[in-house]
Amino acid sequence: MSNIKRCVSLYSYQDEYARGKMTLEDCIKELASIGVEGVEIISDQMLWNAPDVSDEDIANWHRIIRENGITPVCNDIYINTVLYKNRRLTQKENLALLKKELHLAHKLGIPLVRLVSLTPTDIIEDALPLAEELNVVMALEVHGGMAFDNPETKKFTDLMFKLNSPYVGLVVDTGIFCRKHPRVSTAFFLNQGLNPAVAEYIDNEFAKGKDVEAISHQRVLPDELESQIRSWVDREYVLFAGGYENHDFSVLDPYLPFIKHFHGKFFEMTEEGVEYSVPYKEFIDYLKEKGYNGYIASEYEGGRFALPGTEIDAVTQVRKHQEMLKKYI
Amino acid sequence: MFDNYVLSDNSLKNVKKDGKTVGYEMRTRITYYRGIPLSMVHDILVEVDDQPVPRENIRFSLDGELYFTLDEMATVTFYKWEYGQEGIIFVEQEGGLSEGEHKVKLTQVTRVAYIPVPFSGTQTKTMAV
Repeated sequence: MSNIKRCVSLYSYQDEYARGKMTLEDCIKELASIGVEGVEIISDQMLWNAPDVSDEDIANWHRIIRENGITPVCNDIYINTVLYKNRRLTQKENLALLKKELHLAHKLGIPLVRLVSLTPTDIIEDALPLAEELNVVMALEVHGGMAFDNPETKKFTDLMFKLNSPYVGLVVDTGIFCRKHPRVSTAFFLNQGLNPAVAEYIDNEFAKGKDVEAISHQRVLPDELESQIRSWVDREYVLFAGGYENHDFSVLDPYLPFIKHFHGKFFEMTEEGVEYSVPYKEFIDYLKEKGYNGYIASEYEGGRFALPGTEIDAVTQVRKHQEMLKKYI
Repeated sequence: MFDNYVLSDNSLKNVKKDGKTVGYEMRTRITYYRGIPLSMVHDILVEVDDQPVPRENIRFSLDGELYFTLDEMATVTFYKWEYGQEGIIFVEQEGGLSEGEHKVKLTQVTRVAYIPVPFSGTQTKTMAV
């Protein structure tokens, strides 16, 4: 038993929410019923008019979490740098949006905001005094396809080391530790007409222990792969395949003091009670060895690969993922 | 991926105003996992029975009261299209659609800060008026 804590990102229940099967309150009640300690939200997903949420909705949020005994852990935020069609926002505009988000997190009683990958780095230092005043940590997401070697991510980590502040850190998504391409993704794309030889090529790369990101996000694909590309679906599959990175856990070593939170990304809980792509037991063993005592938030992403005509059951998937986390923690 | 959200079932219907059929509408949910200001809806394309609808005939509404043309939407930052909220796509067309089934194809394109190219969702459904 370690001090690692369990959380669920409401990202997991997005389909149930969109279709009106679960409200925000239903999601939090579900977490309480399965004994989860913390919740992560996406304010743009479940709080109307975010970041300008009404006082009434903020009061309602506090009631829901109080009644269910759930700790708010993280809010996933986005700076809408592409708000306009004809230009990107300026540094001042982006900074004003980030400050609004810090105020919202503070009002919601959430101590951490997750900045999506590629959030402009040039607004962080100017927002830091407000983050300190409101006691809200700003942490960049390190996500598959945009992990530590991405130049934009590196810009942020360089600044993070320079500032060396407890209010600037990272949220790491475990999708950077995929040992296999998610088979639910393969099944989805095969249904759309993917050439099976392309899927096989990607699976073989993983089997050899390679990081597919290094192939898929290049302008020119290896000849052997390019020669198998027959359609737009094939190209899309290869592009998305780069979103599942295959790193050793030791890639985290230099960043550990700055890691505030983990997204426990998962695509498919198998019959055996493990995740198909990410080796959670080994991951949690690594975190225990390093003395990590923050949260891991279940973040279910298999729903997007539901085959036409099939229902998404995120509730069951999250329950299984939580059982697994509990066992390994 | 999010294509199943593009066209709400049985949402195609003719729209009457002052006793005259002025066009038709359908309902759509955002093909993304969060709400965005309307200005970030990059484009909306409609095809009915394989015929593309002229862009200037398309209007978008969140509440059935306030309608924006696609050109107007480019500057609409005050109103947000919430995740899961059904927006209304109205097509101005005198007389609307004939009674019976029509093949409708709707494409939504949105801009997402961390994806370099606009992100689209498409769905084709046969629906009856």
